[in-house]
Amino acid sequence: MEEIIMQKLKILADSAKYDVSCSSSGASRHNNGRMGNAHAAGICHSWGSDGRCISLLKVLFTNKCEYDCEYCINRRSNDFPRAAFEPDELARLTVEFYRRNYIEGLFLSSAVEISPDHTAEKILQCLELLRYKYGFAGYIHAKIIPGVSQEILHRIGLVADRLSVNIEMPSSKSLQELAPQKKPKQIFAPMRQITNTLIEHNSLVGPGTMFKGQQLNTPEHYLSGPETGFAKPVHQKAGGPKDSRDFRAPRGMFSLPEMWEQESIQLPAQKKGSFAAAGQTTQMIIGAGGESDKSILTTSENLYRAFKMKRVYYSAYIPLIKSPKLPDIHTQVPLAREHRIYQADWLLRFYGFTVSELFQDGSTDLDPDLDPKVTWAIRNLDYFPLEVNTASYEQLMRIPGIGDRSAKRILRQRRYSAVRFDDLKKIGVVIKRAKYFILCCGRYYGDRKFEPEVIRSSILQMESGLQMSMFDTSGAPSIETSQESQDVGRLAI
Amino acid sequence: MRDYIYDGTFEGLLTCVYHHYYTDRANGIFTKDNYQANMFCSYMEVETDPAKAQRVYDAIQNKISDYDLRSVYRAFLSSIPGKEMIILKYIVFGFRKGSSVSSLHGNPIVNDFQAILKKVSVETERMLQFVRFSVMEGDVLYAEIEPDHDVLELIHTHFCDRFKNEPFIIRDVGRDKAMIAYQKHWYISSFDDDMIPAISSEEADYRSLWKTFFDNIAIKERKNSRCQRQFMPERYWKHLTEMTLY
Repeated sequence: MEEIIMQKLKILADSAKYDVSCSSSGASRHNNGRMGNAHAAGICHSWGSDGRCISLLKVLFTNKCEYDCEYCINRRSNDFPRAAFEPDELARLTVEFYRRNYIEGLFLSSAVEISPDHTAEKILQCLELLRYKYGFAGYIHAKIIPGVSQEILHRIGLVADRLSVNIEMPSSKSLQELAPQKKPKQIFAPMRQITNTLIEHNSLVGPGTMFKGQQLNTPEHYLSGPETGFAKPVHQKAGGPKDSRDFRAPRGMFSLPEMWEQESIQLPAQKKGSFAAAGQTTQMIIGAGGESDKSILTTSENLYRAFKMKRVYYSAYIPLIKSPKLPDIHTQVPLAREHRIYQADWLLRFYGFTVSELFQDGSTDLDPDLDPKVTWAIRNLDYFPLEVNTASYEQLMRIPGIGDRSAKRILRQRRYSAVRFDDLKKIGVVIKRAKYFILCCGRYYGDRKFEPEVIRSSILQMESGLQMSMFDTSGAPSIETSQESQDVGRLAI
Repeated sequence: MRDYIYDGTFEGLLTCVYHHYYTDRANGIFTKDNYQANMFCSYMEVETDPAKAQRVYDAIQNKISDYDLRSVYRAFLSSIPGKEMIILKYIVFGFRKGSSVSSLHGNPIVNDFQAILKKVSVETERMLQFVRFSVMEGDVLYAEIEPDHDVLELIHTHFCDRFKNEPFIIRDVGRDKAMIAYQKHWYISSFDDDMIPAISSEEADYRSLWKTFFDNIAIKERKNSRCQRQFMPERYWKHLTEMTLY
């Protein structure tokens, strides 16, 4: 018996590992007499040998697939060991792992066996057993298969904390080419249903701090369709934002398809009970199609602005399959590119940036050598240097080397005393990056001229020195270095 | 100025704060086993006095803040050498500044204090991540931990809520004590090897299932041991099922 489960677990974890999301955040729930609770910030329980966190039991329900997507190891035409869980078997395994504190909960995805509805019903059965038979109150992330019926999706939402529909590719062109059985319509219909149901349940929150302080659960945010989130050619007025100091996105800065400007819709009465309280996410593959960084991020921005998704995950394409439509099997995994895209994604969700700002010089790809925040700052030197003692929170967040935590600490200290340069380091500011862009009590601390090329080369020199020391095993890294690398790890830029 | 020697308890430390104001200013505060007498400074053995400690306790709560009182206690749970003087200086400074003291991040006294606090909260968080229970006979959950700082009592809220309906024991191996809890009631008591309940028959199977999952969820093309170590430092590995099983 255990042998069989072991074999299944091996195959179905292996098949699920390319799913990126493993976060267990966004749901907060106390134990109401059953087993478990949910921790708002999420908890990672372990880190695999690839350095990715393990928070949830991430498995496919089955990897027997009707589809034949080019990039996927589980595609029908791939000769690969196949397995499927029984609903009760997986529910029990989840509970046993959970009580040993191995995991925060279950991440359940699946290949498409027979039909989307057939598979989704099995998933639903498993999740309902878990919630109602085993009384499990931990975290559940369920993957929604494109093409699933509204009824089943709704019932899955009632037992899950988070739902996700994979967009798979950053554009409809590469979706058509690489996953011909998945139609944009089938992907966006469930996404829309989830967003609308969240509004009905008064629980749409949106990504990061993008919509902070705004009421999202109103009829204006209701989506009627049939829009898609894919990047459209951006009809932007020449010259970008008029005043580079005004960084709030003017309306219509990126164009929403006309369908989104619909007449107001009457909302049904607020519904009770929780539906996917931790919101929805999605995932796309980087480097399998030919999209530029700009079109990838524009698609993400659309997903954030229109569908109010909590997060878009990116996964660097790992060339495992020989196909004329895909990058050569010896291509390097674009990990560095994925990293820069994540950094830019963070800027969108937490730092108040827009995609057009990140590509304002007409480029279509991010600078591989510098993080996008530094790149932006160097291009907009007229915005700097900023006096840390008078800058607003939004302005502080624009300074490379300052993040949410340090910006808030600066504001807090400013209420009682001036922030001196020596204090900044204690506050947690990455001085090496920030010093070029700030004034502290009226003084500039950058080392040479206040010119784009000079600052760029100094920072590049500093970053490459850092790279050296990160891989230098002869001496222990200095405290500064480890702080820095932690920043990189957490993508706080 | 003189050195204080105290018994290592929180009340003891608060009594030292009292004497700092009413007897003689403290030059250093030590426990008996880590004090070395020196010729420049006389020393005094502080006898823990609940009444004096209570006065300091109330003063911190009223003159600084409730938040800082809790911070002081959390800092006290750390194992950083010299924590006593850092805490004393923070309390003294706090009496002057009031509740704004915790916002003065640039001040060296505050900075030193918050550095210890951060160490304690980082490790508290790590214990929520790295506690690994074994299911013992009679469905008792049992885990062993070896934290650097004495964070055992800081994790009760989380685990008592999560495993409300299951009896569990979390044992701090290095400090020979354990938290024993069931249905939101908990206490900390001394604990030794012969008190460990017998292991259940299924336990070995689930351990190896977990190990199987752990090994198969990693993408080998993206191997990054440095990152793994950074988030999951090696000193915790010996109590992690997935890192000890082969």
